[in-house]
Amino acid sequence: MGEAIVITSGKGGVGKTTTSANLGTALALQGKKVCLVDTDIGLRNLDVILGLENRIIYDLVDVIAGRCKIHQALVKDKRFEDGLFLLPAAQTTDKNAVKPEEMKELITELKRDYDYILIDCPAGIEQGYKNAVAGADRAIVVTTPEISAVRDADRIIGLLEQEDIEPPKLIINRIKSRLVNSGDALDVNEITTHLSIDLLGIVLDDENVISSSNKGEPVVMDPSNPAAIGYRNIARRILGESVPLMSLDEGRPGFFGKLKSLFAK
Amino acid sequence: MTKQHYVTIKGTKDGLVLRLDDKCAYSDMIAELRNKVSENSLEGLAEVKVHIGNRFCNEEELKEIMNVVHESPHLRVSKIQSEVISIEECNRKVLEKQSETYIGIVRSGQVVNADGDLVVIGDVNPNGRVVAAGSIYILGRLKGIAHAGATGNEEAVIAASWLEATHLMIADKLETMTDELTILSEHPEMECAYIHPNGFIAIDRLQELRILRPNLSTFKGGS
Repeated sequence: MGEAIVITSGKGGVGKTTTSANLGTALALQGKKVCLVDTDIGLRNLDVILGLENRIIYDLVDVIAGRCKIHQALVKDKRFEDGLFLLPAAQTTDKNAVKPEEMKELITELKRDYDYILIDCPAGIEQGYKNAVAGADRAIVVTTPEISAVRDADRIIGLLEQEDIEPPKLIINRIKSRLVNSGDALDVNEITTHLSIDLLGIVLDDENVISSSNKGEPVVMDPSNPAAIGYRNIARRILGESVPLMSLDEGRPGFFGKLKSLFAK
Repeated sequence: MTKQHYVTIKGTKDGLVLRLDDKCAYSDMIAELRNKVSENSLEGLAEVKVHIGNRFCNEEELKEIMNVVHESPHLRVSKIQSEVISIEECNRKVLEKQSETYIGIVRSGQVVNADGDLVVIGDVNPNGRVVAAGSIYILGRLKGIAHAGATGNEEAVIAASWLEATHLMIADKLETMTDELTILSEHPEMECAYIHPNGFIAIDRLQELRILRPNLSTFKGGS
């Protein structure tokens, strides 16, 4: 029996979909059987980031409406031998096409065949959010070091705490170490004290995240990229390993050297 | 044959007292009251307290008693005193006196309401709201909105280990904290907000509360 994890944030544009794609890929790299579920019906993106767009035949709404079987709708990522699958969202309808109970049933069915089901939640706290959370056992809240994203994270954590799931965990995405070190951005400590939930990991801001997403290849595939290291660490923590938090000392001489030496071991 | 008097007027050192019998029928009592006040033994204009004893009267009945007394040009009701209250009113009064405890974080978009005092153990985050008919005490950081004395109690206070609220409300007074925030952020520890005699919400050290609002103390023990 697998575990369903919803990835949510409240605010849009903080990197839920990127995080879903990269964590899914990282877990698959660790040898787990992963299914990604895109619940952003009407504004699907996860397929694009994974480079699976033109392989979609059926989608989530087709499954729920009974027009196809689950396995027919799942898109296999050929980079992984039976390790990574995507259940794409429908693009032609909207969030109201699915009810939370139907979603729950679907996720329960997927949990039989997969180790991890990552549910990519749409922005907002309306129907789409309710659908995404319905089947989840755990929740990950993604935020960025911006006050608006932190406020929305606070709201969504409040809603998640009312659900019958484990206490949500936090990912701080897109940390610009230069801004944090100069004191111009919220630092990790400030954010975690404010939100009072456990920190699952941090991801440094990196240009390659965008360029590799545009190529349809999650950045986590590149083991030397700083953002990829963040995602890989988070995946290991999801698997129960204890991995120390990466340092933010970018800019100091020898940081990348240190990182490289770390991974050369 | 002496008829029993349902209504008696007495002069006390506090003024006139109209004592209404609480055993007789309400209609009998009203009829006698009407007779009594129409007697022309009175002069001038006197304030009168009405004691209704153990009779429970609803709003309408109280109004009727008052109207009947006011039929006399010489009497004005200053107060109606009763020995009994309804269970509903009693429950409300108990709730108002009670202190409720909320343990947790009041997050953005959440509202915590209390009928009496409210003790929050945890933070109140921005856009989180705590509302109490009585005072609000926060063991944690108040960074959101707090409304004390929500039903009109101007004596209510808001106290917090860390007072960095965006909005403070006491009774019908509102203070947005934009100007104060800069000053506050240097010293936000252990503070309380109250309505200053000048009518505005003021903030002072928690320790000043014993002078500002001594009546809030319910402690009865010896020292």
